[in-house]
Amino acid sequence: MQDERQPRPDEERHEFREEAESLWRITLAPVAWVAHFVTSYGIVALVCAKAPGLLGMTRGGLGLATLLALAVIAWLGWRAWRQWDYRTTGDYTNARGEAEDRHQFLGHAAVLLALISAIGVVYGALPVLLLETCR
Amino acid sequence: MTTRLKQTDGQRKLRDVEIVMKTSMAGKSRRPISAEPGRPRARLAPLVALALLAGCDGRQSVLAPAGADARVLDSLFWVMLTGAVILWLLVNGLFFYVMRINRGAMSRRFADGLIIGGGVIFPTVVLGALLAWGLSIMPDQRAPGEGLTLRVTGEQWWWRVEYWPEGADTPIVAANEIRLPAGQRSEILLNAGRVIHSFWIPALGGKMDMFPGRETRMSLKPERAGNWRGQCAEFCGASHALMAFEVVAMPPDDFDSWLQAQAAPATPPGDAAAQRGARIFAREGCGACHAVRGTEARGAVGPDLTHVGSRLSLGAGTLGTTLEDFETWIAHTGAIKPEVEMPGYDHLTTADLADLAQYLKGLE
Ligand code: HEC
Ligand SMILES: [Cu+2]
Repeated sequence: MQDERQPRPDEERHEFREEAESLWRITLAPVAWVAHFVTSYGIVALVCAKAPGLLGMTRGGLGLATLLALAVIAWLGWRAWRQWDYRTTGDYTNARGEAEDRHQFLGHAAVLLALISAIGVVYGALPVLLLETCR
Repeated sequence: MTTRLKQTDGQRKLRDVEIVMKTSMAGKSRRPISAEPGRPRARLAPLVALALLAGCDGRQSVLAPAGADARVLDSLFWVMLTGAVILWLLVNGLFFYVMRINRGAMSRRFADGLIIGGGVIFPTVVLGALLAWGLSIMPDQRAPGEGLTLRVTGEQWWWRVEYWPEGADTPIVAANEIRLPAGQRSEILLNAGRVIHSFWIPALGGKMDMFPGRETRMSLKPERAGNWRGQCAEFCGASHALMAFEVVAMPPDDFDSWLQAQAAPATPPGDAAAQRGARIFAREGCGACHAVRGTEARGAVGPDLTHVGSRLSLGAGTLGTTLEDFETWIAHTGAIKPEVEMPGYDHLTTADLADLAQYLKGLE
């Protein structure tokens, strides 16, 4: 019979993979911000240079892209919030270097990155929404 | 006429400043010439006063807006400045409060609230609001013109200016001076010869860079008739600081008759001195670089001189327009404007210079 407290053979590897993934995950919100920015900038420059007539449609499309980016960031932020687990643990910081702490710290960092990315996306969208012409 | 009088006044003031500067500089090694000896502060006072006054007379000041666009920028500036001062007082007041007045520990909740509310939410909202406001006034800054188009090319170190009234298919060529109809928005297309310059009339609006081979545009709407000064605002070489220009906004009717006069060929030289001057102009080959419409002179290297006598400055805002200024410019060009493309004609006799000046001054 296997002892309950013995780690299952692949448990460590499993856990490590999850942490590695969560390291990737904290970059996803900024990536959404970058994608939104580059798309807006590039498409508006292109449309204004080649087909100013399509600007109205472009702005509508970029408005939708903004909503999409914000939705993605909100979802990532929500998952990170759960990973941080501030509500149940009450740990604002995670100073000890145990696996659980690392896990929650990465969640914490991801929440902050999602927040700043959301602000970045909103600021980036303002010119598209407020500037009505190519001037 | 009144603007011209005002201008000579301004120019005289400018020269006075230069003289004061020269005397005070000379005073460093020799004895001061004009002020009482032994009292350096008394010597400096008029200099400082003049420097301050020059900043205040509003001929080249963003704080004395006289154009629709400059007015918007002015209010933007004051709102930002006021906001910054208030924020500075708040932040430092808070510092002072927690470090000197109430040094007790504050609750975790309050501290978190302060950091998140005052450090994250408040700046995000304020910056967002400023961004939205700035963006909402940006397109107006570059509104399309209402008829007249100017084409200005930045050269080293002067301004090639073309006026294209609505529907015109050839321009009216001038230089080193911008005239605009007051109360109307004029379109201004900007280009550059060899290096980047920047076109700026602080009293009327924001600045815009001029690039070789790439046209940029702006538009300006002076609110009233008046006389201001513009300046190149992008370093462009040895005489960059001497690349300025006079700006005159005129009542639309006056502007139209002025433009009509500019379109006409040069007035033939009147008296004997001017006629001699015209011959010297031809003999010295000035026409290789300068155009005087209606004569053989067709050069395009330097400013069009067809109506140079009616301009408010010489050498792109560098000298006044007295006969003496003309002579000084022609004889000592490089000394007045370092590295200028026009050779100095200091080999000409005083009599020849006087005749040339008489001729050019007569080209009204
Ligand atoms: C090699 C070309 C060249 C020649 C030759 C030349 N000039 Fe010039 N001239 C210029 C240039 C370039 C400027 C503009 C200089 C500046 O302000 O930076 C200028 C400016 C001037 C101006 C001032 C115009 C203004 O709008 O402020 C006058 C007046 C003038 N030249 C007169 C003369 C006379 C008179 C001669 C002949 C004796 C002459 N020039 C010969 C190139 C030339
Ligand atoms: Cu310049």
